[in-house]
Amino acid sequence: MPQNNKNHYQKLKKRILAAMILVPAVPFILVLLIGYRYFTTTLEENARFRMSRMAEDHGLAIETFLNERRTDLKLLANTYQFQQLSRPEVLKSAFTHLTEKSPAFFDLGVFDEQGTQVAYQGPFELAGRDYAKAKWFLEVKKSGYYVSDVFLGFRRIPHFVIAVVKREEGASWIIRATIDTGQFSSLVEKVKIGKTGEAYIVNQEGLLQTQRLSGPGLLEVDPWAARYLNQTGSGARTPADPEDQTRFIWATARLNDGKWLLVVRQAEKDAFEALRSMTYLVILVTVFGGVLIIGLALYTTTHIIKRMEAADQEKDRLGQQLVVAGRLAEVGEMSAGFAHEVNNPLQIISSEQNLARTTLDEMLETGEVSPGENLKEVVDCIDQIKIQVDRCGKITRALLKFARQTEPAVELIDMNEFIPTAVSLVANKAKISDIGIKQELPQETLEVKGDPGQMQQVLVNMINNAIDAVDSRKPAEGGLIKVAARADSGRALISITDNGSGISPENIEKIFTPFFTTKPVGEGTGLGLPICFGIVDQMGGSLEVESQEGRGTTITINLPAA
Amino acid sequence: MENIKLMLVDDEERFLTTTKKLLTKKGMTVLTAASGGEALELLESNPVQVIILDVKMPGMDGVTVLREIKSRFPLTEVIMLTGHASVDSAIDGLKAGAFDYLTKPCDVEILIDKVSQAYEKWRLHEKKISEALFRKSMMTPRAILKEMEEETGE
Repeated sequence: MPQNNKNHYQKLKKRILAAMILVPAVPFILVLLIGYRYFTTTLEENARFRMSRMAEDHGLAIETFLNERRTDLKLLANTYQFQQLSRPEVLKSAFTHLTEKSPAFFDLGVFDEQGTQVAYQGPFELAGRDYAKAKWFLEVKKSGYYVSDVFLGFRRIPHFVIAVVKREEGASWIIRATIDTGQFSSLVEKVKIGKTGEAYIVNQEGLLQTQRLSGPGLLEVDPWAARYLNQTGSGARTPADPEDQTRFIWATARLNDGKWLLVVRQAEKDAFEALRSMTYLVILVTVFGGVLIIGLALYTTTHIIKRMEAADQEKDRLGQQLVVAGRLAEVGEMSAGFAHEVNNPLQIISSEQNLARTTLDEMLETGEVSPGENLKEVVDCIDQIKIQVDRCGKITRALLKFARQTEPAVELIDMNEFIPTAVSLVANKAKISDIGIKQELPQETLEVKGDPGQMQQVLVNMINNAIDAVDSRKPAEGGLIKVAARADSGRALISITDNGSGISPENIEKIFTPFFTTKPVGEGTGLGLPICFGIVDQMGGSLEVESQEGRGTTITINLPAA
Repeated sequence: MENIKLMLVDDEERFLTTTKKLLTKKGMTVLTAASGGEALELLESNPVQVIILDVKMPGMDGVTVLREIKSRFPLTEVIMLTGHASVDSAIDGLKAGAFDYLTKPCDVEILIDKVSQAYEKWRLHEKKISEALFRKSMMTPRAILKEMEEETGE
């Protein structure tokens, strides 16, 4: 049974523990997962959106820059006649005017229809040169407007040229300006996102038109260009770099009539840096929360199981007490009827014995019988009948007392008065047996509700039992009985401790059973403790017995304090 | 002892005969009755001084019989004999005017002792009555008249 119980509690514990962990853990993990998913999605979308926006904005800025420069030149062409502008001093003042507007202008040239530079304003002596075969000249003649790729001029400074055609009656002429890319490329080169985020421009051949923060330099080939050139717009993810497994998220914008491509990109790892710290945070929260949930579940479960075990034990104890009380009541009822029925025949036997004895005495007097061994035997027999009838009478009287259902006269009993009185009743008997009785009384008033007569019966019975137990062992250290009373959370505990013979474990279960006695035949009725049990039970209390065979016994009367 | 006239009331026939024999040997005059009704009937014609009455009998129970006896023969002393150690019924008996109670099984010696005490009480009571009667008979006719006046005057 205890083994079964243990298994039962183990199973129960597992079940409660599982429930207590799962119930909070499932929503907890779900919330974390959903939050994480939502957060990562938002973060990725944001990163992509930022890329796209950046590409668009910077693209627009560059387009604007180019358009402005083109407008500058167009304005110039519309303002002046070819002959006017071919004059170096006019060109010079026009150039000064231009550089005031935009410092990006590096030089300015005027060309006739055949490609000859008729006037030049700039740091070089280029007037008179023939550009009829130059690529830019052919292009501009064809489409009326031309922006070149970036090149390193004579001074190894990156430049590009813008040329516009001015069509007039009969002949057209061309204005060409070299633009310092400094201002223009700073628009993209300034871009810095996180650690790896950058922006740059490539031309259709994949040559870098601006300085890139990482990798190849100006006018070198961008190894990634091939991937972007045929796509525009959105921030997709690139496949991993074959060398270092880096993935980028990127966005592009076409510039300069599609001849240039603005690329904005950032390494995924870098863009999602916040994601990584979020992941760490989520892991941390999961671990911490998990430990907390498990710890709390363990603690609570252990607590619950302990409480349940205690409650079950209490239930068992109460159940047992109820069984004992019920059994006693049954036995009491039965024994009352029995005792009464037996008393009548006992009375008759008693009378018969008396008559027999009286008659025999008379016969002896009259000489009807003569004294001798036989007569002695008969007289002995008759006397024995009286002894045994008396013994029976004692038993039936005890039985009736046990079964007596009188209403107790309830009063408040003060332990500080009651115990010394009860002890004084048995003090003499204890003294004869050379046993000391020590009293430990409570400091403060401790009262119980009960019939003082009944209570006295109980306590005297207990002390008498203790005296008998000490007597039967005769401890070398001297007999000692301790009677103590103390209050304990609304209960009054009166304990009687002796250093007597103790009760064996197999007997301890039977001590409240009527007629159970270990005393010699004729000395104990086996009803003392059952009677005490009945009285204490009626008072709403209980009797607790602790005993070690050969060491002593403690009986505790546990009563509700008044 | 010789003069004691006693009645035993119990439903146990053998108890009656044996105890009667014993008490007769002690010199008492013993009547027996097996029930309360029989006892009351017998008392009409044979007044006794002491009655030993079993509390629990079929038919009329002891306490009822006791009340009846006390109302009809108030001088008779009654000793209750109970097979029940229940003090409650004994107290009922004492309240109803019993001399004392004994519990079964009761030693005959004790029974005789109790009977003697009851008889003694009866005797003293009886003596007082005869003394009072004697005093009354010794009073002068004037005193008697005065006493009568006092009684009617009230």
